[in-house]
Amino acid sequence: MTDTYNKPGVMSTTPEEVEFELRAHIGSIWTGGRLFIGMYTFMVASLAFAYFYLRSSNYSMEWRPNHVTAPTQYGWAIYACVAVMSLLAIFGQSRLRKGQVADWLVAGWTAVGIGLLALFLQLWEFVALPFYPGSSGYASTFIGFGVMNAVTLFATTYWVETTVARAHALKREFGADAILAKTSEARSFRANVAAMTYFQGFAFLVGTLFLLMFYVL
Amino acid sequence: MTISAERPTDVVATPPSTSGAVRRGGWFSQHLGTALIAAILGYLFGHWLGNHIAGNYTPVVNSGVNDLANFFGLLFGVVGWLLGIGALNYPLAKIAGRSGTEKTPDVEGFSKYFRYSTDHKTVGLQYVIGVCLFLFTGGLLAMAIRTELLNPTTHIFAPSTYIEIVSEHGTIMMMMATSIVVGPLGNYLIPLMIGSRRMAFPRIEAFSFWIFTAGYMVIFSALPYGGFPTGWTGYAPLQNQAGPGMISYLFGFAVIGLGMMAAGFNIAVTIINYRAPGMTWGRVPIFVWSILATAALLTLATPVLFSAGLFGILDRVDQTAFYVAEHGGSSYLWENLFWFFGHPEVYIMALPAFGIVAEILPVFCRKPLFAQKVGAAGMIGVALLSFFVWQHHIFQSGINPDMRPLFMLTTELISIPTGFIFLVGMGTLYKAKIRYELPMLFSLALFFNFLIGGLTGVFLSDVPVNVTVHGGFFVLSHFHYTIMGGLLFAFMAGLYYWLPKMTGLMLNKKIGLWQFWLMFVFFNLTFFPMFIIGLLGQPRRVYTYAKNLQGLNDFSSISAFILGISFLIFAWNLAYSWFIKPEKAPANPWDSLGLEWQTATPVPVHNFDRIPVIMTDPYHYGEPGATALADLSGVSSSTGNPA
Repeated sequence: MTDTYNKPGVMSTTPEEVEFELRAHIGSIWTGGRLFIGMYTFMVASLAFAYFYLRSSNYSMEWRPNHVTAPTQYGWAIYACVAVMSLLAIFGQSRLRKGQVADWLVAGWTAVGIGLLALFLQLWEFVALPFYPGSSGYASTFIGFGVMNAVTLFATTYWVETTVARAHALKREFGADAILAKTSEARSFRANVAAMTYFQGFAFLVGTLFLLMFYVL
Repeated sequence: MTISAERPTDVVATPPSTSGAVRRGGWFSQHLGTALIAAILGYLFGHWLGNHIAGNYTPVVNSGVNDLANFFGLLFGVVGWLLGIGALNYPLAKIAGRSGTEKTPDVEGFSKYFRYSTDHKTVGLQYVIGVCLFLFTGGLLAMAIRTELLNPTTHIFAPSTYIEIVSEHGTIMMMMATSIVVGPLGNYLIPLMIGSRRMAFPRIEAFSFWIFTAGYMVIFSALPYGGFPTGWTGYAPLQNQAGPGMISYLFGFAVIGLGMMAAGFNIAVTIINYRAPGMTWGRVPIFVWSILATAALLTLATPVLFSAGLFGILDRVDQTAFYVAEHGGSSYLWENLFWFFGHPEVYIMALPAFGIVAEILPVFCRKPLFAQKVGAAGMIGVALLSFFVWQHHIFQSGINPDMRPLFMLTTELISIPTGFIFLVGMGTLYKAKIRYELPMLFSLALFFNFLIGGLTGVFLSDVPVNVTVHGGFFVLSHFHYTIMGGLLFAFMAGLYYWLPKMTGLMLNKKIGLWQFWLMFVFFNLTFFPMFIIGLLGQPRRVYTYAKNLQGLNDFSSISAFILGISFLIFAWNLAYSWFIKPEKAPANPWDSLGLEWQTATPVPVHNFDRIPVIMTDPYHYGEPGATALADLSGVSSSTGNPA
């Protein structure tokens, strides 16, 4: 046993420890990104479960009287925004890997603008609905979807904005090549971009599923 | 896991932040006081806003109840709480591109426990106090329940008040129990046990604690709103018909759910990525395995509860009909979503308890942990299977009868990996020379209690028995034996075992022995009669009962009061050992081989002077000449991968 009572050591790090912690940090971003997708999956899966459970049960024949549908123009517009955001994320990341930081920044800011537009459309759709929230099972689940989608759009846009803002801060602090350098900040930053891109791709798939459920079927 | 021998000269000289709390000195910085003020202001603003928006709506005018105002009050109250404590400083600063790895100095002294600290050790101790507050509040409500049940005809509470107390007790206890081990012990010990200097996401860790405390206040706010009559399960359609206190229940669950997800997420990522070099999965301590399995459940099952709570809130504030069958919804939807979370929640509570006792047993048996890998496999098996058993909770609630055998089978299957864990304990105890210290006594009590709770659980999973005893005191006794008899005894074992490490002070053994014997004896005297009461037909959640059951109920109530006294003795022990007559703890009072005992006490901010290199698992007790657990001189002096 090591009796070290009241003999706390002095913090110091060796280069190997720095590298170890940096790898762990980058691994955490990778793992965290995937685990976040897992959490998000269970959350939206519970909405999908509610949709299909109520649809198949059709209690009081009130699942969807008169086949009422949420405004499809809003649905497609929001979906298009999500799709473009995802494509911009994938495009931006591929350009970043090739060293084209400016392209990634432009893609990022464009995605932020589109994200805010999608969020606005999602919120505005609530005041343009042709049904009351509790008028049917479909109406209820649609409201649930709308709230979840608004939160998702807000969170995604926040993630993109903070990443792009961080890129500008890195350039200010460490110079023009800061994002492509081998520093811990740059490596951490690029791991974050990869996780964000991965999540946006997944959000696009989820958006496709719910577009089919609420606007097409 | 290997360490690169290449010298990373292009890497900056500081690692990603290993720092603790952000320095915010003085009364005008952010702390618990500012959080309370901001929460009150947020509540008042939200309530005003809700009244402004919906005050003139016909349903609100007709009923006199404005759920939107109540919900907005609580929502903005929670946001104010987070703003006031400083949890939103960093997310807001990030918008301007601030780094997540900027090094910040630590706050020293006692005041750090009232602030938004990102040091995992501070958060762990904050959780100790937080969960004890939950526990004592819920315990007081339990005393009120047992007082009412002293007499079937003379009543202290009205029926509606009684069910409100029962509901609040159940909800507070279940929410507390999800975090009682993961919060205090998980956050404090996991980095120490895996040889890490930090958590993966310290801010998320701090967030998990402060949102947990917010959730406590939200759930408790149900009482001034008139409570909720649904029990802790919140079943619809009663949920839709209940008074405004129901909002506190639904929103409180969602808020605590956020904390559970954050805690599970952070801990899982930390265990996966921050294990010290050489700590292969086979060398991971069994307590860490249990927390990893729990973290997986917290991360994946809780989002379903969060969604279910969101749907319930929408039903009340936006008049949707998720749980209203007349408008295309279904009360069974709530039941399915709730129990899809609710049953894994049982294992969220049970697995850390198993982890604690499995960690403690070898120390006091001076024997290696028997079949460590089988125990870890059992924990993962329990976690996986827990997602496939939820419908046994609704055998009596109108599910398709053809589905019952399937869920009966899956429920019985889960007893197999649970049995693995039990056998690991029994195998370790076999032919051991046991040291009967307090942590060991509490651990042994767990096996006794959980055996009764587990065996009755096997009976309850059988449909015929379930049909007979459903909704009665038999079920109540069963889950108290598993949760209180299992988790709470393990928690006590963990506190007596690890608090000397966490605080540097020993807890008084004599007082602890009084607590243990009173708690163990009177726990059993309280809850065992309830099996009989249940079989004789007394239903749960009802404030009266048949006259012939009064003797058993009185016996149970008086035992419960003494059980309550045992917790007061524990509180006295904390006060006595920390403030009245503090006794410094030796560096390793139990002669443990665990890595957490190999670092300095009190644990320095950075945990280890050097990141250790792990050589073997920490259970080689009684093996002369066994390999040392770790090379504490660190990775820089190590040559290659010791694994």
